[in-house]
Amino acid sequence: MIDYKKYLMEYDGPSVRLMEVCGTHTAQISHCGIPSMLSPQIQLISGPGCPVCVTVTSYIDRLVELCMEPGTVVVTFGDMLRVTGSSQSLNDAKAAGGQVQMVYSPMDTLKLAAADKTKTFVFAAVGFETTTPIYAMLLNEATQNDITNIKILTSLKTMPPVINWVCEKQGGIDGFLAPGHVSVITGSNIFNELSDRYQIPFAVAGFEGEQILTAIYALVRRQGKAGVMNLYPSAVTAQGNETAQRAVEKYFMPCDAAWRGMGVIADSGMMLREEYRMFDAGSANLNADHGAHSGCRCAQVLTGALKPTECPLFGTGCTPQSPQGACMVSAEGSCYNYFVNKRKR
Amino acid sequence: MCVAMPGKVLAVHGTIATVDFNGNTVEAQAGLVSIKPGDYVLVHAGCILQVLTKEDSDMLTELFEEIENI
Amino acid sequence: MKITMAHGSGGKATSELIAGIFAKHFDNPVLARMEDSAVVPGAATIAMTTDSFVVTPLFFAGGDIGRLSVCGTVNDLAMSGATPKYLTCGFILEEGADTEELEKIVASMAQTAAEASVTIVAGDTKVVEGKGGIYINTSGVGFLPNGGIVSSANCAEGDVVLLSGNLGDHHAAILSARMSISNTIVSDCAPLNGIVSALLKDNVKVKAMRDVTRGGLATVLNEFASASQCCISLCEDHIPVSDQVRGFCGILGLDPLYMGNEGKMVAVVAKEDAQKALQCMQGSQYGENAAVIGEVISGEAGTLLLKTDIGGIRILTELYGEGLPRIC
Repeated sequence: MIDYKKYLMEYDGPSVRLMEVCGTHTAQISHCGIPSMLSPQIQLISGPGCPVCVTVTSYIDRLVELCMEPGTVVVTFGDMLRVTGSSQSLNDAKAAGGQVQMVYSPMDTLKLAAADKTKTFVFAAVGFETTTPIYAMLLNEATQNDITNIKILTSLKTMPPVINWVCEKQGGIDGFLAPGHVSVITGSNIFNELSDRYQIPFAVAGFEGEQILTAIYALVRRQGKAGVMNLYPSAVTAQGNETAQRAVEKYFMPCDAAWRGMGVIADSGMMLREEYRMFDAGSANLNADHGAHSGCRCAQVLTGALKPTECPLFGTGCTPQSPQGACMVSAEGSCYNYFVNKRKR
Repeated sequence: MCVAMPGKVLAVHGTIATVDFNGNTVEAQAGLVSIKPGDYVLVHAGCILQVLTKEDSDMLTELFEEIENI
Repeated sequence: MKITMAHGSGGKATSELIAGIFAKHFDNPVLARMEDSAVVPGAATIAMTTDSFVVTPLFFAGGDIGRLSVCGTVNDLAMSGATPKYLTCGFILEEGADTEELEKIVASMAQTAAEASVTIVAGDTKVVEGKGGIYINTSGVGFLPNGGIVSSANCAEGDVVLLSGNLGDHHAAILSARMSISNTIVSDCAPLNGIVSALLKDNVKVKAMRDVTRGGLATVLNEFASASQCCISLCEDHIPVSDQVRGFCGILGLDPLYMGNEGKMVAVVAKEDAQKALQCMQGSQYGENAAVIGEVISGEAGTLLLKTDIGGIRILTELYGEGLPRIC
């Protein structure tokens, strides 16, 4: 067995830029101290992998609007609470009397809705392909149990179009750490086309430190050549979870979606099919993105064009205590991770 | 959005499974995979995404041999 | 019975409450005098501290707000190297608070005070409008034997860092109830003066000590690194966390290094006393899982480093934000 740790520390081949497109990978890379284990010739770039971070401000504004409506409760994951829209976050709205409830699972909405039929419970449905099937399950259960006071506000996105955007509009990436849990659902085959088109290797990686390191090793070794390597075979297959895919297809269809920093990317999102629109809380056309602070560079940080440390606000005007943009709010945001771990690379 | 953890299925009742993570039990949605008690599963935000198979070491060995021969 | 505004008025209802609950459980000669102040023997140098307790729920696996309120203040005194002696307690009760619950809390305080060998010598009760909440403030006085004070500014290169036991239990116990995750994690809420007394009695050269409460281990050690202008390096492999708490953290995406504890402490000691210190901790109640977790090294001043499980190095900053469980 090759001593890949030694190889990565001592690598002095051509400079290699590798991008991870999963917020959990970004967090784990920081958590395990991986940058300290790589030679300076290997650079890790955080890409648009945090669904909270790529959500546009008009989506947050709509959530704030909803939670202030009497009779409506916004239900959400924890990370969404502190992200600011064009002026307010859900936490700000909550302090002003808005009804907001944090949960661990979207399925918890069912219990909430059943317990109070006088209110409408709107789940802030953000996520990539890993999470979308769960919203399908939620709607399934709601329909089967005749629960009519649940809606969702969707900001669902898919990975291949945004990876394509990065390669096409920016380039400069020599390999992708493919998102492990997205791949559980979609299968590793979805990256084949991108890999061939741009002749860039992809390595599907798990989330243990060792798994991420071996994926980085595989990408460095395979630089310049196409190929999708599945280094997480215990959870990921080539085809993915077909039951989950069918559940998603039943309720959702592809649509154009707005990504912070990238504008609208064609077919990069998912929305409710027409026959299920009664569950929708006003998700259409939430494309506007007006950051509150003009110095905020989240847009460039998200695409890997700028390192977090290169944003003029980083660490001064923008910290986890007083975040200016989503990248600093979310525990999976690039700026947050760089800040709390004092990462320089 | 990918914080997910491997746990062991203790029991299944309809579309809900009781999953154990080192002594923590959670009721998770099981509608996306067919599972049975004893299976190791990946749970994300209260939902089971996949049954975990034993890490396919043959497949990984092959993959690494291929990488070494590049 | 429910607390009403009358209980706070200073009249009959108040004295009945005091006699029926507080005096009954905090029974001691000083308090029994019911004077305006407690007059007690002192010492040349004393340590003083105060803390308020507002936790909900009031009762949780492994403890309650009463036990917390005694341990919190006892531990703050002990961390200065003082022997905790006297506590005061002030209660702010919201109308509608339940007197049976109040009595359980007070009984728990009395029991914990006895365990920690401290006397509750003065108290106060106020009643305000509200929804039945109970808030407690405790202040404490401890004696410093020869005035020798440990300080977070004393750490020096070569010193060894010890942790008295498993991280994250209290935080996980409180959160488990809120997040409907079933487990048998209980709060570690405990008085630490026994461990401190063992260290001092054995003449361990203690440089700094702190209990690891809100903000977690990483926050406390950052305070040391900053105050001492030194570099501290920890070994992830050596930091004790129970399997159950690890599993809990894994589900919610939490980091044990940033979770609150109510019965754990760190001690930075001179290198030559490290083994002795470890034995003192491990031989004391509440210190059974104590471990050496790191050392003070030469490096960038004011920095805390972690050697991770896989051999990487990560810089640990203090806790920013609330540490909400993340899914994203």
